[in-house]
Amino acid sequence: MIYAIYVFIAIGVFFSFVGTLGVMRMPDVYGKLQASTCIATMGTLSITVAGVLYAIHAGMGVSVCIKLAILLLFVWGTNPVSNHALIKAAYKMGVKPYKEFKIDSYKEEEKK
Amino acid sequence: MEKRSFSSWLGTFIPCFLLWLLLTWSLELREIILGAAVSAIVAWFTARFFIHKKPFFLLNPVKWVHMVVYAVVLVVEVIKANIAMAGIVLSSKCKTCQSGIVLIPAGEDIKSDYALSTVSNAITLTPGTITMDVAEDKTGKNYYYVHWLDLQETDPEKAGEMIKGTLEKYAGRIWK
Repeated sequence: MIYAIYVFIAIGVFFSFVGTLGVMRMPDVYGKLQASTCIATMGTLSITVAGVLYAIHAGMGVSVCIKLAILLLFVWGTNPVSNHALIKAAYKMGVKPYKEFKIDSYKEEEKK
Repeated sequence: MEKRSFSSWLGTFIPCFLLWLLLTWSLELREIILGAAVSAIVAWFTARFFIHKKPFFLLNPVKWVHMVVYAVVLVVEVIKANIAMAGIVLSSKCKTCQSGIVLIPAGEDIKSDYALSTVSNAITLTPGTITMDVAEDKTGKNYYYVHWLDLQETDPEKAGEMIKGTLEKYAGRIWK
């Protein structure tokens, strides 16, 4: 059991690290936002699973597990909203991408 | 935005109160009274944002089964996309990959605002794709504008197939 917890924490830390590295390595704001999603999805998911396993292992009862699940639900519910708002705001401000978009369907929508 | 009504207030009050009970995890009278008061106030202010037509659509056990199935599908999709994203970030691809904004059509059973926002939030949750906007054309068909980091397909139908996969089918079942 305790090794399963270590594995889940390791996965969570790895994906959080990948997300942070992505925020630093990506050349433009769009790529940075895409990379940051890794932290909020896979990082939170694995560490919450590890927390639930630890609560069962240590005999903490059902309430801790439910609180962790609700925590995950809130993070997964709010992260897409903020990411969507940020990327739309960046586009409307006219932030240039590092490489020109291969296809930009949104431009026509803007003109309407 | 709809007008306030008692049934929409009750439809918001019950989930709020259940969430309070789950979070406090005690059945003391003090906690229950405080939770009921807070839920009542919150429901009074937010009911007209949450409830549009059917106030009790969430209190249906069949919907809960659909929600659990949808959650499992979503988690699998998120894990796959995360591994792909880790591949992009850790290789030299992050400076060279070609991004773009594609227009993808929504499925036929995606009609309500709830279903549209569920699917667009799911698209945003998978790393590599972010929904920028949702639009409706004259015939009532809905479209998503999706920013795709590692663009592989520009055709709307095929791109939609690659981005949404089976997610939309399961999301449509919840909000039928």
